[in-house]
Amino acid sequence: MHVLQLAIPPDFPLPIPGNLSLLEFLIVLTFLLHIVFVNLTISLANGAIALEGVGMIKKSKRLDDMARICSFHASVHKSIAVVLGVAPLLIISVIYTQYFYTSTLLIGKAWLSIIILLITSFLLLYLYKFSWEKWENKKGLHFIVGLIASAILLFIPFIFIVNIVSMLYPEKWETANGFFHSIVHYPQIWQRYAHFILASLAAGGFYMYFYFTWKQKKQTLSDVEQTLKIGGVKVTFWITLLQLVFGSLLLMSFRRDVMLLFMGDDLLLTTLLLTSILLTIVLCALLYVAMKKDTPKWFYASIACFVLIVALMGWMRHEVREAYLQPYMDEYPRTFDVQKENVQPIK
Amino acid sequence: MNFPIVEFPWFGNGNIVALIAIIHVLISHGVAIGATAIVVSTEYYAMQTKNAKLDQLAKQMTKWIVIITTTIGAMTGVGIWLSTMVIQPDSIGSLLRIFFWAWVTEWVIFIGEVVLLLIYYYTWEKWKEGRKKQKHLNIGITLSIFSWLTMAIITGILAAKLTPGRWMETLSFWNAFFNPTYLPSLAFRTFLAVTLTISLFTIFVRLFVKDEDVRPQLFRIFSIWGAISLPATFVFGLWYLKSIPEQAAKLIVWSTGLPEQTFNVLNIFAFVLIVVFLAWLVIRPKKLPIVLALAMFVSAIGFIGEFEVVRESVRKPYIIYNYMYVNGITKAKAEAMNREGYLAHSTIAKVKEITDENKLEAGREIYLGQCLACHTIDGWRSKRALANRLDGWSQETIKSFIPNMHNVRPMMPPFVGTEEELEALAAYLYKVVNEQN
Ligand code: HEC
Repeated sequence: MHVLQLAIPPDFPLPIPGNLSLLEFLIVLTFLLHIVFVNLTISLANGAIALEGVGMIKKSKRLDDMARICSFHASVHKSIAVVLGVAPLLIISVIYTQYFYTSTLLIGKAWLSIIILLITSFLLLYLYKFSWEKWENKKGLHFIVGLIASAILLFIPFIFIVNIVSMLYPEKWETANGFFHSIVHYPQIWQRYAHFILASLAAGGFYMYFYFTWKQKKQTLSDVEQTLKIGGVKVTFWITLLQLVFGSLLLMSFRRDVMLLFMGDDLLLTTLLLTSILLTIVLCALLYVAMKKDTPKWFYASIACFVLIVALMGWMRHEVREAYLQPYMDEYPRTFDVQKENVQPIK
Repeated sequence: MNFPIVEFPWFGNGNIVALIAIIHVLISHGVAIGATAIVVSTEYYAMQTKNAKLDQLAKQMTKWIVIITTTIGAMTGVGIWLSTMVIQPDSIGSLLRIFFWAWVTEWVIFIGEVVLLLIYYYTWEKWKEGRKKQKHLNIGITLSIFSWLTMAIITGILAAKLTPGRWMETLSFWNAFFNPTYLPSLAFRTFLAVTLTISLFTIFVRLFVKDEDVRPQLFRIFSIWGAISLPATFVFGLWYLKSIPEQAAKLIVWSTGLPEQTFNVLNIFAFVLIVVFLAWLVIRPKKLPIVLALAMFVSAIGFIGEFEVVRESVRKPYIIYNYMYVNGITKAKAEAMNREGYLAHSTIAKVKEITDENKLEAGREIYLGQCLACHTIDGWRSKRALANRLDGWSQETIKSFIPNMHNVRPMMPPFVGTEEELEALAAYLYKVVNEQN
């Protein structure tokens, strides 16, 4: 492969601070913790306005109550999501410096706008949550506040996805022209986005199922809570089925040699993928039972399934990145031992 | 110049980071650290004096600590990461290589802090009596320690940027962390945090706490803390000042952008103001004038702004002292760049070999790589706008100034590059400056 004149910078002369395998393990782990809460924030905030909107049209108090519960949960998860995001950001910065810093700077202004977008969205979410009763007679305004907050939350993932995809394509950096152009410039952006948003919806639905089943062990659920619980199962079930399609679309958008790694070329990766598909089908079956019978019987099994699927996804996601960057790694080595001559000036 | 460059042509690149950092310091020091200590001592005092209303007031203040730290505090904290990556990738990337585990530890402690804060707030009503109340108070004390620990870690990193000390020889993490200004700056910041809290919170207490049974009590607590923290801030501040490099100390007044006399008058005035204010709190807590409280609020914000700007600025021309210049060039690399060319060593430079046709483009690339960190062509900070500073200079003058710029203005790093590169930079600057004017 021709990688000679690419804009991949040399690594810093200071060494990567720690065992690479450990750091890779930590990045997968902390990223998953972070992204699950991001998923919940996005889906619950958007779920809230969807329920409120439909409730306004149908003049249904029940839907409005359901919306309110979603908005409460969204506002808790958003704070956790942000705080948990720092660790994976630090790790990706130290182990993929040459790629990640470049891809970030290529969309520098969009990247900085995240700060303003998040603060705006979070403050609006607080307003949305705390004005529910006060603005009972100003439903339209209340809805719009939630809508703007949720729309911002739907937009921000594009910035992250562009960044994380662009770091995989150094040969396309030269022709990229800012953030909006990058959305169409790089492959996989839409596929990743769709996969991510669907995952958010599934996670949000599953969370409702999880939360209210757990609550049910201590007290009986109100009618609204019961509906949310079953609704959550249904959403997760259907979305997860759809995910089989969108997951495949994403796989097909990969560079051919990377895609083939998951389709027989690499035993481990192929096993991971097949296991995750199998588990997805098992999860759907379990959810189907929960949907039809409303029994807590398979509750723990479905949690285990869900957690395993998420873990496999995180692991595969990491392997995709490694596979993409592999061809460049020899030419542009990372620094594992300090380059003294480039740190200490000759006296 | 190894990463793409993002330019904020009018606002100035350095100012972006400064803006976010100032807000973050106000909140982390004034709200997360100082206010927690004060709230916990208020709870303790209320317990001792069996003052239930004061206890409720402490709870109220905790609610605000929760809201502010988990939104603006946390977001500007993350914002510092997002913005330094964009504005100073070489420096933050290098610091991460040195201090990664310190930052990870800080992150873990910060999560602990947030969890404790939530527990502290949400158990206020549940753990009300006797042993449970004591337990609640202990949580508060642990919380205060945690929030201080986050600062104790970050201070090590920030101090190392000014005084990396023996790290330059040993390249040891511990030498970098426990560097010559670590202890003085930590001591200074610790008491600064408390002083800051008092200055920031008083106006809100004055305006919104109407109850005469609690306000004077709270002000009493403020004044006791102030009696300790103010002299301590002053003394440790002097120690801090004495421990910074001489070259940096010389830049302090200049860094504020004020004439020396104005600088002195303002700082003396602020000092007198805070003494008067504290005295008032002690002597007549019931009749604290709103103007005085407001003046404290404003000057506290002003002081933190000044402190942050000065702290960032006295380090010039370095961003990591003796190791890396503000424009990301390391001292160790400068020699090779002078020999072989700055552009040849810059991954993203489009021009590697200068010709008559690409001269101006080469000049622009050098400007972006070496000057943009501190300058704009045009912009609101006229001292840094080159259209202003180079107005009326001939291309020859520019060219003869640049190789000496670090001698004439010690806050500037030396120019690095070959004779042709110098020529190209001068040509580019001459052109844009004259187009601009
Ligand atoms: C570390 C930050 C920094 C960098 C990098 C930097 N400068 Fe400066 N420069 C300054 C400061 C600070 C001043 C003085 C402002 C003042 O007078 O208060 C200054 C002043 C100047 C002046 C006016 C000098 C005078 O005596 O009137 C010129 C011209 C100038 N810089 C050119 C450059 C050029 C060209 C580059 C890039 C090769 C550069 N600077 C890089 C910080 C920097």
